[in-house]
Amino acid sequence: MAEKPQPVRVLYCGVCGLPAEYCEFGPDFEKCKPWLIQNTPDLYPDLLKEAGAKDADKVSDQLQSASISGGSSKPKEEEVKRLPGGKIKKKEKQEVVIEKMTRNKRKCITTVKGLELFGVKLSDASKKLGKKFATGASVTKGPTEKEQIDVQGDIFYDIVEFITDTWPDVPESAIFFIEDGKKVPAV
Amino acid sequence: MFKKFSSEEVSAQNQVKASVQRKIRQSIAEEYPGLEPVLDDLLPKKSPLIVAKCPNHLNLVLVNNVPLFFNIRDGPYMPTLRLLHQYPDVMKKLQVDRGAIRFVLSGANIMCPGLTSPGGALDDKVEAETPVAIMAEGKQHALAIGFTKMSAKDIRTVNKGIGVDNMHYLNDGLWKMERLD
Repeated sequence: MAEKPQPVRVLYCGVCGLPAEYCEFGPDFEKCKPWLIQNTPDLYPDLLKEAGAKDADKVSDQLQSASISGGSSKPKEEEVKRLPGGKIKKKEKQEVVIEKMTRNKRKCITTVKGLELFGVKLSDASKKLGKKFATGASVTKGPTEKEQIDVQGDIFYDIVEFITDTWPDVPESAIFFIEDGKKVPAV
Repeated sequence: MFKKFSSEEVSAQNQVKASVQRKIRQSIAEEYPGLEPVLDDLLPKKSPLIVAKCPNHLNLVLVNNVPLFFNIRDGPYMPTLRLLHQYPDVMKKLQVDRGAIRFVLSGANIMCPGLTSPGGALDDKVEAETPVAIMAEGKQHALAIGFTKMSAKDIRTVNKGIGVDNMHYLNDGLWKMERLD
């Protein structure tokens, strides 16, 4: 093994993660521009010219990014995450929905949806729930590919308190029950 | 193929038997002789080799939770783009013209005219049904990994329809999955 081919280091864009030369075809070239100007000025000579024409100082980088995003696309549009294919993703409402499903007359399953929106790890959460209520709790795929936690048994009575205690990020006002098909705030 | 792909798709992850490991190594070494000297670095004998099974008969080969290769059914192992970028010369290369980049990056298969036009380039040694790296006009790095449907000669003569199936391209699900935990 005398000659080992050395791995090539590829420059990946700090914004979109693609190799820098493909940024122009990436999901959001406008956002990558300031990064590209700073890191690989020679790759897109046109960009520098553009920047030079607009402003000569160093601050132009930031100014430019602002002016570009302000000029070519409306600022509101920028916050919206784009799905591949140009569709605009709706921002999901941050809320935890708790629902009870009856199974076998006396037995039921409580499902908790939406915890992941608060940055809670579902597998951790299910373990904690199971421990707290001494029942089986698991992460399952609900309808539309969303993950949810199923807890065996009726734990309506103090799940709200438990959620707000263990994850302080989740406000009580964001927790909802589903009762008779209607969404009811927990508080 | 990986357009919509995420860690949720993985149905099972197994550390494979030593014999299977040997088989995988062997078939990779056969397919990509250029990789052989670094194969020991890529797939260290000591660290466990994990195969993740995904729908559609897809297998991912993971080392240290990083996907390195994938294959379909018993097909050839193909490197992921991140790996290919590091060792670009291990695969045969086909080049598409600039106009095709946009479509390839959204998952389209590679059509013959994009390969035969002035901006494209064909390696005449490429046979049908082999994995190839798809390069692009004026770019250094590969933008996709494909599986040829026709041989290079046929692509030239037929010059119509799908020449190469697009397996894995920049910014698809597998690209975004840098690590699988």
